[in-house]
Amino acid sequence: MNSNIITLIISFFIIVLAQVFLFNNMFIFGFINPMIYLLFLVVYRFDDDQTLFILLSFVLGFCIDFLSQSGGAHTIASLTIGFVRPLLIKYSFGVTSEAPSTFQNDLRRRNKYIFLALLILIHHLLYFIIVYFNWNATYLILKNTILTSLFSLILIALMSQFYKKLNDT
Amino acid sequence: MRRIIEALVQFRNPVLYFVLLVLSLLFLNGRSHFHQYYLEKYSLYFSQSFYNISSDIVNYFRLKKINVKLIKENKILKDFQLKSNSISLYPNAIKAKRRFSFKVIDANVIKNSYLNQRNYLIIDKGHEDGITSEMGVISDQGIIGVVKSVSKNYSSVISILNQDLKINVRLKNSSAFGSLSWKGTNPNDFQIDDVVISSSVIKEDTIITGGMSSFFPLGIPLGKISNYEANTKSGYYKINASLFEDPSQVYYVYVVENFDIEEIKKIKKDILK
Repeated sequence: MNSNIITLIISFFIIVLAQVFLFNNMFIFGFINPMIYLLFLVVYRFDDDQTLFILLSFVLGFCIDFLSQSGGAHTIASLTIGFVRPLLIKYSFGVTSEAPSTFQNDLRRRNKYIFLALLILIHHLLYFIIVYFNWNATYLILKNTILTSLFSLILIALMSQFYKKLNDT
Repeated sequence: MRRIIEALVQFRNPVLYFVLLVLSLLFLNGRSHFHQYYLEKYSLYFSQSFYNISSDIVNYFRLKKINVKLIKENKILKDFQLKSNSISLYPNAIKAKRRFSFKVIDANVIKNSYLNQRNYLIIDKGHEDGITSEMGVISDQGIIGVVKSVSKNYSSVISILNQDLKINVRLKNSSAFGSLSWKGTNPNDFQIDDVVISSSVIKEDTIITGGMSSFFPLGIPLGKISNYEANTKSGYYKINASLFEDPSQVYYVYVVENFDIEEIKKIKKDILK
């Protein structure tokens, strides 16, 4: 249990630094900027305290915003994801079946990818809506959301594989 | 208190979410000018509609006060209007400095009769408010009558709907003089007598007060000519006229005070001697 917390804290810092210094400078096709910091919100234990999780997702978004000199868009989007994650878990893993305790330990591959895709899509949609904040930019918002989501999904799916080995206890 | 705390504990996640959301919105507002602009725009929109409702409600209760204020303002404007109407009609209006001896006092009509042949009004101002007999009474779109008798707080007014009252009038375009009187039937049916046939009369010409009666200043618009016929035998026109305002439906009036009336009366007396 203790090692889990340490892993969490270290991964928090690594994820934030990787996002800010590596992925924020990455422009695939000139405009796609994958957001891998959502990985933290994915691998955090599902059965842990929800209140703490909301607080953590706020802090995560705040750190990203602060270090990448953006407004408050990351904060709002990741905070909202922190709030709605239980709902997403419920809908993607099934209401009746038992919810998994962590993302990486579950073996239902299809449900896992639905969960991941939903989480990333909602986050990105919210993020780009806040960034553009204009009805006239609807096309731009949708285009950015879908393309960036695709790359974020691939990267986060790959990276979550690391946690599989770390968290196997 | 205990229940509130229990509810807070029970709904701690949504509460925390909304608190942090507000915080991050404030953060967004502070960091980005673009978002600041839009957020201010939306907040202005919401607060404006809220304030609109509240000011509507507040204004409704202030209507009486506002009315009083407006009447006061109207009184001042009426003064200016009378003055400018009158003075601009004289020749060499711009060059010569001219005395204007009229002032208005506002009043409410508390009784108005219009069904008889000789109608009277009662207004709620008397000699305490500076009203004396033989003052003119006007409304916002015409004249109403002449003050007859005055008590402490009330005065009676001979209505323009009274066959005994003849008012000195002028035609605006031809400047022919005549006297306006009521026909005694419809409150909108008037006739003008004593217009000499040599003067030119046009249909729809505006009738203004003539300024020779010492009750009214020159140039208050009253009504217009509806039709006329020339009577070559008597040498006068027979003109039918209608007023701009129905005198039977007037609630606010202005009493016109003439400072010089004593002076004029004295001279009239000298002539008769």
